[in-house]
Amino acid sequence: MTNVSAMAPAVEKIDAPATQSARLGLWLTLPAQLLVLFIALFPILMQVYISLTDWSPLDGIPWWKAHELWIGLLNYADLMADNRFWGALWRTMFVMAICVPVQFLLGLGLAVLFVDDFRGKRVLYSTLLVPMMVVPAVAGYMFFMLFQSGGPVNDLLSFFTSDPVRIAWLSDPDLALIAVMIADIWQWTPLMFLILLAGMISVPQDQQMAAILLGASWWRRFFTIVLPRMKSIIIIALAIRVIEIFKIFDTLFIMTGGGPGVATETISVYIYKVTQQELIWSYVAAIALAILIVLSVVSVFAIKRMQRGQKP
Amino acid sequence: MSEIALENLGKTFGDFTALAEMNLTIANGEFMALLGPSGCGKSTTMNMIAGMLRPSSGAIRFNGRDVVDVPMAKRGVGFVFQNYAIFTHMSVRENLAYGLRAQGTPAAEINKRVQAFAELLQLDTMLDRRAAGLSVNILQRLAIGRSAILEPSIFLLDEPLSNVDAAFRAVMRSELKSLQGEFDQTMVYVTHDQLEAMTMADRIAVMDHGKLLQVGTPLDIYNAPADTFVAKFIGAPGMNILNGRFVENAGVVAVEVPGLGTLDVPPTLQAAAKDKKAPNIQIGFRPEQVNASQSGLTMHVGFVERIGARTIVHLEHSGSTAKAVLPSDATPPLAGSDWTFSASDEAIRLFDPTSGQALKGRAH
Repeated sequence: MTNVSAMAPAVEKIDAPATQSARLGLWLTLPAQLLVLFIALFPILMQVYISLTDWSPLDGIPWWKAHELWIGLLNYADLMADNRFWGALWRTMFVMAICVPVQFLLGLGLAVLFVDDFRGKRVLYSTLLVPMMVVPAVAGYMFFMLFQSGGPVNDLLSFFTSDPVRIAWLSDPDLALIAVMIADIWQWTPLMFLILLAGMISVPQDQQMAAILLGASWWRRFFTIVLPRMKSIIIIALAIRVIEIFKIFDTLFIMTGGGPGVATETISVYIYKVTQQELIWSYVAAIALAILIVLSVVSVFAIKRMQRGQKP
Repeated sequence: MSEIALENLGKTFGDFTALAEMNLTIANGEFMALLGPSGCGKSTTMNMIAGMLRPSSGAIRFNGRDVVDVPMAKRGVGFVFQNYAIFTHMSVRENLAYGLRAQGTPAAEINKRVQAFAELLQLDTMLDRRAAGLSVNILQRLAIGRSAILEPSIFLLDEPLSNVDAAFRAVMRSELKSLQGEFDQTMVYVTHDQLEAMTMADRIAVMDHGKLLQVGTPLDIYNAPADTFVAKFIGAPGMNILNGRFVENAGVVAVEVPGLGTLDVPPTLQAAAKDKKAPNIQIGFRPEQVNASQSGLTMHVGFVERIGARTIVHLEHSGSTAKAVLPSDATPPLAGSDWTFSASDEAIRLFDPTSGQALKGRAH
């Protein structure tokens, strides 16, 4: 849109066709834009609609006629009083509160080790990233086997005790959640490591050199130069993991199926059970929307922080 | 206050020799410029003095003490990076205070010194601004201040003026020089800009291809270049060097440049010229010292460049080129004509064509 001959006096004349062609461009892209908007918004609007009804596929009426079963905000009222929902939400938050910091600290520690060159770095680096590549369902099976009462984890622990250890990891309500969290940490620390390493490498070398020449110790440099300069990328890494943990499902479902009882039932597992086993679709829509709102708030907060970090 | 001595200093990267057998002593409080084109080893030398690189051979002594094994944080060296390496996520104040904080200086003392330095460098009005938005000129002063506040006895500057515009560069040249007077440190200044080196340095070390070619005061280097590289590198434009051979006439040696004519060898160089057995020689003279003359060398005038204060005449003849710089009030020769010129006795330098070394004259 720039015009080389746009010297000061001619600005208005030149601006007119520019606006015109911009308007034409808008008209030309309008169908595509509407399509994208529709694709993005339609499922959400449908959810909102269904969540206000008592519709289920078993009722025998198509979804667009769900208004015949209009119940207003009753689903949301039920949700407020649903202990199983709050339990699942609390459990998800608990997993997040443990797993995200552990993954962050492990990832950061590994990044510190890998930012400098050493022998065998490449091989070790690739090895470390393997868990991330494993299909979560397969990871679920691996940990299902590892945590059997006669499994390798207990065998390993038996080395340190006189009696053979026979802990029933996956059928103990407290330990099952721990086992699930260990699996998540195993699988997703590499992602954290990968993102943080990329961030750490991009911290300018000369700034670190300057800090050394000014007499700063390693710790001082790490906390005053490296970490502040990685702020944006740390927020991105944390946001990704927070959102992902909200969606934690496959590994967990294969390991425990949400059990024993509801001991490892997170939001996603709960939603799955309500949808597939109890078929209360309108209620699920209400849950999904509630979660969407929570996640959106988290994301907006993270993005705001990120933008502030990038501003000079 | 520190004296820096580089002894047989060398640095290789694999097969590549970045620096070989560098011997240089920089006196207490001296302003030394390391001057040379890109890849000449000047930055490598500087980084070894700072401790960022470990020498492959040789020693670096501060006041006689070998510091090769002293980590860079402990060398007490101030360093200004080419791009300043300002901590842009901090305020100006935090940048200035960084080194003092790292040393555990009490907060009251830090405040006092930051304030004093900010005033000295005219940064006091922007102490609480974030460094990210500042102009290059201010970043530069901040970079100097951030290092200088620790009062290092050695100050290293890596092409600090290469990012600033020409006008500010002129200001900074005098400002840097006066700052050195203020702090009185030993300064090592890396640059590829001979004007910076000539105007600021007490002495200049000219380097090329990892070798130290000549060390001397700016005028020494300008007047008595050690070899053809220095002769051509220093001066704008550099010295004219023409291939010729000795001819002797009645016991007086002259240099004949084939096809162009003959220039007399000045009396101070006669003895050296006679000692030289091989007839081939290179004769050099500065473009500023060329005068129109009845006899001497004759060359075609290629084109005439008028740049205000002076006029540069580009000369060419049978593969040889030369330049003449004339004062703007002189009438320059016409482009396309032939022009005969000579250079005065004081202007003539002779160089060995194989080694490039200057022939030493002697006063008589």
